[in-house]
Amino acid sequence: MAAAAAAAPARSEVLSLFRSFLRTARQFSDYNIREYTRRRAADAFRENRALADEPAAAAAFAEGKKQLEVAKRQAVVYSLYAPKSKSIMEMKLQ
Amino acid sequence: MAAAALGPAILRRIRLSPSPSSSQPFAAAAAAAASHPHALARWLSRPMSSHDAHLTREEVVDRVLDVLKSHPKVDPSKVNPDAHFEKDLGLDSLDTVEVVMAIEEEFKLEIPDREADKIDSLPLAIEYVSNHPMAA
Repeated sequence: MAAAAAAAPARSEVLSLFRSFLRTARQFSDYNIREYTRRRAADAFRENRALADEPAAAAAFAEGKKQLEVAKRQAVVYSLYAPKSKSIMEMKLQ
Repeated sequence: MAAAALGPAILRRIRLSPSPSSSQPFAAAAAAAASHPHALARWLSRPMSSHDAHLTREEVVDRVLDVLKSHPKVDPSKVNPDAHFEKDLGLDSLDTVEVVMAIEEEFKLEIPDREADKIDSLPLAIEYVSNHPMAA
């Protein structure tokens, strides 16, 4: 585990993690949480894109995987308390 | 013989009279048609079975272009059916992931990672969606 975590993640692995975040974000029933998760993931990946040295990139990748697990758990919790009405932001304006 | 003669008589009896409740679905469809001119046409032209309810290629192209144009980082004037996400539209790899996810959502698809990684231009996206049997 420790040896595998030290190597910098491959480009495809990072993009796959990002995609998993977006897929998880989609599952939130609450508009605000859904959008926040999507935005937060996109911001964090952009912020860390320039990480040059391997240990920092590996640490950020490991942190991302941990946060993904948190998001997945929260999606389940939030699904138990789904909002009864839609947000005004989700309504299509004529 | 007698049954054949009875047929028209029975049909005359069971003719339906238009009641307010039965005209409501039509009113709803008309209202939908007024707000989305294509919705009614699409609804009428779509066969009832899910079989060969395929999207036409023009429809796929239109909707993929719309998805691209509504992405915040894309200049709508640069969007055309031959554009490359990174070279022509100036998107980076993270934007590309977001765009492909948006296309997934639009057509109610789930594109596996291996396929999604390959989609880096509009022709490939259009190709993938129009060949997908579940695209809706």
